[in-house]
Amino acid sequence: MNFDPKLLRRHVLNMAYNGGSVHIGCAFSLIEIMSLLYAEILTFDPQNPKSENRDYLVLSKGHGVMAQYACFREIGWLTDEHLRSYLSDGSLLHGLSESHTVGCEVSSGSLGHGLPIAVGIALGLKMRGNQKRVFCIVGDGELNEGPNWEALAFASHHQLSNLWVIVDANAFQAMGRSQDVLNMEPMVDKFRAFGLASEECSGHDMGALRKTITHLEQEKPKALVARTVKGKGITFMENDNQWHYTRLDKNLLDACLKELA
Amino acid sequence: MRTLLSERIVASAISNPQFVVLSGDHGYALFDALRAQRPNQFLNVGIAEQAMVGYAAGLAKTGFRPLVYGLSAFVPLRVLEQIKLDVCYPALPVIFLGDGAGLVYSTLGSSHQCGEDIACLRPLPNIAIYSPCDAYELATCFDEALHSKTASYIRIGKSDRPAVNLMPPSTTEPYFTHESSSTKLCVISSGSLVSVAKDLGEKLDIPTMSVPRIQPFPQQLAKSLLRFQFLVILEEHSRFGGLFSSLAETMSEMEAKDRPRFFSLSLKNQFAEKCGSYQYALAEHALSDRDIERRLLEIIHSIA
Repeated sequence: MNFDPKLLRRHVLNMAYNGGSVHIGCAFSLIEIMSLLYAEILTFDPQNPKSENRDYLVLSKGHGVMAQYACFREIGWLTDEHLRSYLSDGSLLHGLSESHTVGCEVSSGSLGHGLPIAVGIALGLKMRGNQKRVFCIVGDGELNEGPNWEALAFASHHQLSNLWVIVDANAFQAMGRSQDVLNMEPMVDKFRAFGLASEECSGHDMGALRKTITHLEQEKPKALVARTVKGKGITFMENDNQWHYTRLDKNLLDACLKELA
Repeated sequence: MRTLLSERIVASAISNPQFVVLSGDHGYALFDALRAQRPNQFLNVGIAEQAMVGYAAGLAKTGFRPLVYGLSAFVPLRVLEQIKLDVCYPALPVIFLGDGAGLVYSTLGSSHQCGEDIACLRPLPNIAIYSPCDAYELATCFDEALHSKTASYIRIGKSDRPAVNLMPPSTTEPYFTHESSSTKLCVISSGSLVSVAKDLGEKLDIPTMSVPRIQPFPQQLAKSLLRFQFLVILEEHSRFGGLFSSLAETMSEMEAKDRPRFFSLSLKNQFAEKCGSYQYALAEHALSDRDIERRLLEIIHSIA
């Protein structure tokens, strides 16, 4: 298993090119988050994605699912053939995460669903006395959706200390800069006001991510605001929101792969 | 009906520690016994129905058997997408209980009235829909839902109508509430108006039926009704997407030389106009007990 961010980005690029997929920028902003979680943080059984002894990773921001598929390929839950046939007729993988896909805990893409489900899982684990943890990745744009805030209030009220919310705060959403569309800042203050332990750090600095995830106050539900760059890793994609929608041609693919060599 | 519901919920909680009830700050008295006897299996999540369905999905994923309680105007209507994506798509065994369906909350106005809950759920895969008419039907529907591997919706309408049955029916299949040798006209109903239909059936000697389970729709019902010339479908629900639609859709696909003609006595496609009692609100839709008798007699005279 190799969760090297450059390798994961190459998987994403090949998938996106093969499938003619959009949402490359959405996947690239959370590559380091995914990489760290699967490489160091999450307990999972490569032989059994549904193992009762697993930590749950709920990708609520389904638009970044290619980053997760790339990790699944490294774990062995998906094959190169799955990635080659991405989005083709009759293929397994959809362009947004689906709970039928091995390793995906929820169906997302319709936003504001994953966090309430993650909270339900965290509650269920606590009620069972199960020590496993729940990590839920949401987008900063996704936080526009009201049910997230219902779920955060609930998580705080019930002290779901086994819950980590990670915001992939890439500062963009579908139609523009988040601060221009609907400003959710200051996010850390909002989470703290809701009763969560919250910090922010770079979402591309593995050391900072590791430290923040492991050092947040243990007794509370936790929210990490990971400051990320949409399209991170490819110079011409970074902070250019057209990579929410644009597809790769062969020349662009080659240029990208060269940059990631 | 509500007493039985409370008893069933408590019994389910006692017999199965995985059974948990979630409420969006509704149903206070209904859950008194549960809260007293199994406080850890009752969760008032606050006034937050959308997230509540997500919690139920998460609990089901960790092996619990959640029952999500709400007023039908909110569960399922407000949370339809959560039911579709969070529960039906992964085929999780969550029971939804929609209380106060139809015009029960007549004095509270259109926000609390609900004549479209069955219609909005029927196209969803992996969810059964029940509309029991009395405590006995409710018991049978509840037990079936409890043993289902996928989701269920139980519609609770006006709950203090007289009981139709003397004991729980053995299945949720349709059955005659009044039998008659007449093959001219049959009244088919579900939920709150079954008892009204039954009384009129006895008074006018016309056959009447109850349909406790709307989805999956009992296919044999349509076949068995071909012998009638006229069918009156009576429901405290919109004609769009409810019992009338279910039957008409099923019958339209059947090979039959002569199909019965349908009459729908249902909620009109309109919101409440003025405030009033339950019977007053029904009368705005020409569905008060008196209206139903009058309209049924008019139909009978028109086809005589």
